[in-house]
Amino acid sequence: MSAAFDTIELKMPFKAEYVSIARLTASGVANRLGFDIETIEDIKVAIAEVCNKLVRAGSKSEDNYNVIFNMYSNKLEIFFACQDKSLKCIFNDGEDELGISIISALMDSVEFCSEGIYLLTMTKALEGDE
Amino acid sequence: MSSELTLRHEQVGDCTKIYISGEVDIYTSQNLKDKLYNIIDTFQKDLKIDCKELNYIDSTGLGIFVGALRRSKQFGKTISILNLKENIKKLFIITGLDKVFTIE
Repeated sequence: MSAAFDTIELKMPFKAEYVSIARLTASGVANRLGFDIETIEDIKVAIAEVCNKLVRAGSKSEDNYNVIFNMYSNKLEIFFACQDKSLKCIFNDGEDELGISIISALMDSVEFCSEGIYLLTMTKALEGDE
Repeated sequence: MSSELTLRHEQVGDCTKIYISGEVDIYTSQNLKDKLYNIIDTFQKDLKIDCKELNYIDSTGLGIFVGALRRSKQFGKTISILNLKENIKKLFIITGLDKVFTIE
């Protein structure tokens, strides 16, 4: 596995009106890596599903969550982080089957309950590099 | 490509045709829900939702469509979805909603 060559990190308020900014950033990052338009749209939806869940859950102790894009030559890793650890395994409440289906189908791998400091991680490989 | 959500409707024979334009996401979804439910309650006809200008939707919007279908069924009416972009049609297929709605 090659080391990430660039990382872009967003600090997002827990507000619905800013989820579109996360989508735009994902679009720009994915385009920069060379993903095709269809895959870019998939990545946008997948990250928005996580952002939506986080915004709905909110945080009692933190004002922001982080969306981190690790850009490799052959893949994109996306991490979600927040100091509020109560948001870990956030999809385990059984309330977002549509969202889980979508994320699982559109991304190559997803850890809904990540180890360590991240809440959730997902990966998308550039075509031909899975 | 507009991110604002606009919705217009017209009566076409026995049905109400709705044109959705822009993006349906967590921020715009309440607006869609309010307008869609109002149209269903007011006209109580079969719905055709034209999504030719719909550029983005996620599970938030899909959930609203499902709720709208339940509401329409209360009046004995159905919903058809028209002119979905391929990436959005994919979401209907992934979630199985292509078997719930008539997709034209």
